[in-house]
Amino acid sequence: MAETITRRDLLTNRRKKADRPSHIKKDWPTPRVAKLYRKFLDDKPAPYYPPLKDYTPVPITPSRRHTTVDWNDDAAAHLLRRTLFAPTFSEITTTGADTMANTVDTILADQDQPEPPGDWVTEPPPQFDSLTQEEIMELLQTYYRRQFELIGWWMKRMATQPLSIVENMTLFWHNHFATSLQGVFFPQAMYEQNAVLREHSLGNFRELLRRVTFGPAMMIWLDTNSSTVYHPNENFARELLELFTIGVDNYTQTDVEEAARAFTGYRTNGVNTNYSYNQATGFGNYWQQRHDFGPKTFLGQTGNFDGDDIIDIILQQDQTANFICEKIYKWFVYEVPDDAFVDEMATIFRNNNYEILPVMDHVFTSDHFYDENFRGCLIRNPLTVTQGIFRQFDIADEDIPFRYLIDLQHFMGMIPNMPPNVNGWAGYRSWLNSITLPMRKLFTATMTNGTNLFGGEFDFEPDVVALAQTLSDPNDAEALVNDLAKLFFPLPISDDLEEQLLYALLEGAAVYDWDINAAGAPQRLRNLIIYMMRKPEFQLL
Amino acid sequence: MKRRDFIKTSMVLSVLGARLPLMALGKSKQNIRRKTGTWDSDRILVLIKMDGGNDGLNTVIPVYDNLYHQKRPTLAFNANQALMVNEDSGFHPQMAPLVPIFQNGEMGIIHGVGYPQGNLSHFRSSDIWVTGSPADEIWSSGWLGRLFQNEYPNFPDGAPEHPIAIQFNSANLLEFQSVQTNFATMLFDPEIMYYIVNENYVPGSNDPPLETYGGDELNFVRELDLTTLEYSEEIYGAGQDGDLTVEYPNNNLGEQLAVTAKLISGGLMTPIYRLNIGGFDTHAGQGGEHPPLLNQMSNAISAFLQDLKNQGLDDRVMVVTTSEFGRRVEENGSNGTDHGTSGPIFTFGTTTVGNVFGSQPSLSNLDYNENLMVEHDFRQVYTTLIEDWFGLDPTVSQAVFQETFETIPFVANPLSVSGSPAVPEAFTLYPAFPNPFNPATNIRFELPHSSKVTIQIFDIKGREVRTHRLGKVSAGLHDFRLDCRDLSSGVYHIQVETAGSVQSQRVTLLK
Repeated sequence: MAETITRRDLLTNRRKKADRPSHIKKDWPTPRVAKLYRKFLDDKPAPYYPPLKDYTPVPITPSRRHTTVDWNDDAAAHLLRRTLFAPTFSEITTTGADTMANTVDTILADQDQPEPPGDWVTEPPPQFDSLTQEEIMELLQTYYRRQFELIGWWMKRMATQPLSIVENMTLFWHNHFATSLQGVFFPQAMYEQNAVLREHSLGNFRELLRRVTFGPAMMIWLDTNSSTVYHPNENFARELLELFTIGVDNYTQTDVEEAARAFTGYRTNGVNTNYSYNQATGFGNYWQQRHDFGPKTFLGQTGNFDGDDIIDIILQQDQTANFICEKIYKWFVYEVPDDAFVDEMATIFRNNNYEILPVMDHVFTSDHFYDENFRGCLIRNPLTVTQGIFRQFDIADEDIPFRYLIDLQHFMGMIPNMPPNVNGWAGYRSWLNSITLPMRKLFTATMTNGTNLFGGEFDFEPDVVALAQTLSDPNDAEALVNDLAKLFFPLPISDDLEEQLLYALLEGAAVYDWDINAAGAPQRLRNLIIYMMRKPEFQLL
Repeated sequence: MKRRDFIKTSMVLSVLGARLPLMALGKSKQNIRRKTGTWDSDRILVLIKMDGGNDGLNTVIPVYDNLYHQKRPTLAFNANQALMVNEDSGFHPQMAPLVPIFQNGEMGIIHGVGYPQGNLSHFRSSDIWVTGSPADEIWSSGWLGRLFQNEYPNFPDGAPEHPIAIQFNSANLLEFQSVQTNFATMLFDPEIMYYIVNENYVPGSNDPPLETYGGDELNFVRELDLTTLEYSEEIYGAGQDGDLTVEYPNNNLGEQLAVTAKLISGGLMTPIYRLNIGGFDTHAGQGGEHPPLLNQMSNAISAFLQDLKNQGLDDRVMVVTTSEFGRRVEENGSNGTDHGTSGPIFTFGTTTVGNVFGSQPSLSNLDYNENLMVEHDFRQVYTTLIEDWFGLDPTVSQAVFQETFETIPFVANPLSVSGSPAVPEAFTLYPAFPNPFNPATNIRFELPHSSKVTIQIFDIKGREVRTHRLGKVSAGLHDFRLDCRDLSSGVYHIQVETAGSVQSQRVTLLK
């Protein structure tokens, strides 16, 4: 029976399905060698995906070539605010004095992958059936603790990041592929997904999508793990289309069902899977028995599709690039997308065969991004508030118990690795309401005073004088106030606001009376900073 | 975040001392608030959301339906275990506190509430319920959001001094979301909220914000700051003035109801409270998970109703429970049930008609997915609340749902548009519905003043087959559910007699 050759097979240099080994023999020539052989194949570089033959790149000039942005401290601060978790004053002035091109290059530069939070990230799952009740309870405790260690590890990375967008980008993708530890159970799987998101955050979207799709966390979260030819599960197929790639109204229920049939036979134990990235196929007995090898019709094409084929077909649709770019726009620019600009981003995305970096570069070097209209038009998410403060006060390395950090996020509604559902966080104005807004202010005030929100004290106090020393002229009250405004507020301050800030610092004393070395200065500085953090402007990005 | 979590981890109150002084604040009102709007009534709706999809079949149990026992070998309750409340249904054994409430006519049961083309996706179905959209459309505003947008189109200008709606968890809820804003105030504890809000408030600067998108957002945050401050004061004041006359159960719903009662008792005029109790998504081990939730709910609600009665507040308050879907008839392989379609809604209070509306769903006549059919559209319930409970014009509910829905007569004293209960001129008997019927029909009548009512059924030969003596019934509109399961098919005369007047009509029982 001749197998249907898919169009994709013809146009790429990947081997036809008939040519691929259907599975690696588990114990041949010996179990040890077979295992090493699998690893050997997996470590080979991934196949190259040339652009599809019938796609003609649309001519477009990337922003970098025709930008007219007036580069200065304000523009630099705008960029840094949107890409970091909060900039320091010296970062603003240094990049402001440099060029836009250099700054954007730095922000988007490759970063080394960090050390994992512990050796446990590759620990295989135990044989549950052979464990006693007590052993299981102990394991649950251990896993639970590790999940929160992982969250704390990530939050610390946010607060200690160098001049790089990577952690913010990782968070963006986490919100996009929203997976919650509560549905996944294994901390190893949550770590693996986080590492994948980070590694490919500015890489190739097709690769990122494959790695997430066939990673243990997503397989468990959206039930790919229990989807078989006898009982295909639609959960992943539906969310893949609706939330991760092309969006509602661009496919039918039948497409979901057919895609669900393609996503069958994939299996994970929480740490390893039966999928090989380089060969782009499942393997092993389970795959042979549980995958649906029959023909499917998806988005107008027919073939014996597997999960990779579905992904390929989705990426042939123009809508995919638009959908992803719209989300990027909403996260980095403004809640209401500008269709023309999103089209530009999508064109660049497609022209570059789904490389993410050119799209980000196009945004951050465009006149559009730096338009006055967009200054301060985003609402800070809870992580930019908390991790931003740690970064700006340079206290991230201090021994702040991560349990505290996570509890704070709980009150503000954004614990990383625990999105409310697969839709992610709604964001924008929904971050602020009559509970979360006062809580933010309470947190920032207590943090600046070095107290613990829940009573008790930390053994550090943010050194506000040291912070002031990083400003241009800490002994000049007006300069001090304006510099802090540059640090904390995304909008230029009015004379009236400047008056209020000066009053908060001096409480009626004359401007020339201000002396940063005076005994009362630290407390006054602290009062000013707390006052600024309680202002509505502080919530904007 | 739940109030319990915060209390457990917070030391704030202990730092402050037991009682908070009322702080004198110099705040600058940047907007003039005038009381406008057509919202006249002082009635209050307490909405309790059962998160996760409550299993209606195990709540109001059809103990004599053989299919129920067949399809639920491990989960079914029999007539000895259930608390029988009428001839075909029993309450779940954990609902004992609600039995006398039902028997007193202070609890209504609306069967089979759902919507056509039931969506089994968890959040799609939730979204449909809270937006009030048809199942095949996606709306991004909630029904209450649209309702309040209609009342207060320039919110916060024209807003009342009290919060428009109060909810007890900290996430923005779609039901209160309108295109522009969210109408609910989140609250966990009046005192703690007051302290945190006031300690951390600084007035915005006096310049008008820039005419940019950034300026828009700044405006939004300033407004939120200001309304939060003002509402926190109102709430705190009511909390200090309010009383509780019963002991509330020490659980999540009990706490929310206790705060609600205190605020109502303290004079807060907020018309809508939205509470929630989670955990109803019982896919596995339902036998262990469902009972404690029903227990919590029954104890908390009965305490609340008693408290209201003690304080004479019961004539203004109605409690309504909702859930995003019911559950499947057949139990699954994990001793649980999966997402289904329709389920019962409960109404509580002396303000509700204590009847059963509709009937136990058929377990043989199921939809194409083997789920329960829908008897009432949930938008009928909401429309009834808008028109009969709050007395707003039918054009309002039409605008909210883009469609007209027939009301269900569960409000004992429906308000008319003018805001006062309509007092009928004379004793009126309305046409029974449905007619023909099987097995039950609804008899609706109006009394000009309170009097004794007797309902009699005569067969075609004029023989009396049934008599219901209702005793003294209050003035106004009433409904009586007539169940004729034990009678044979045919034409009958229903005769309603009160204070010397008699009215009758013909109905047909078609089995």
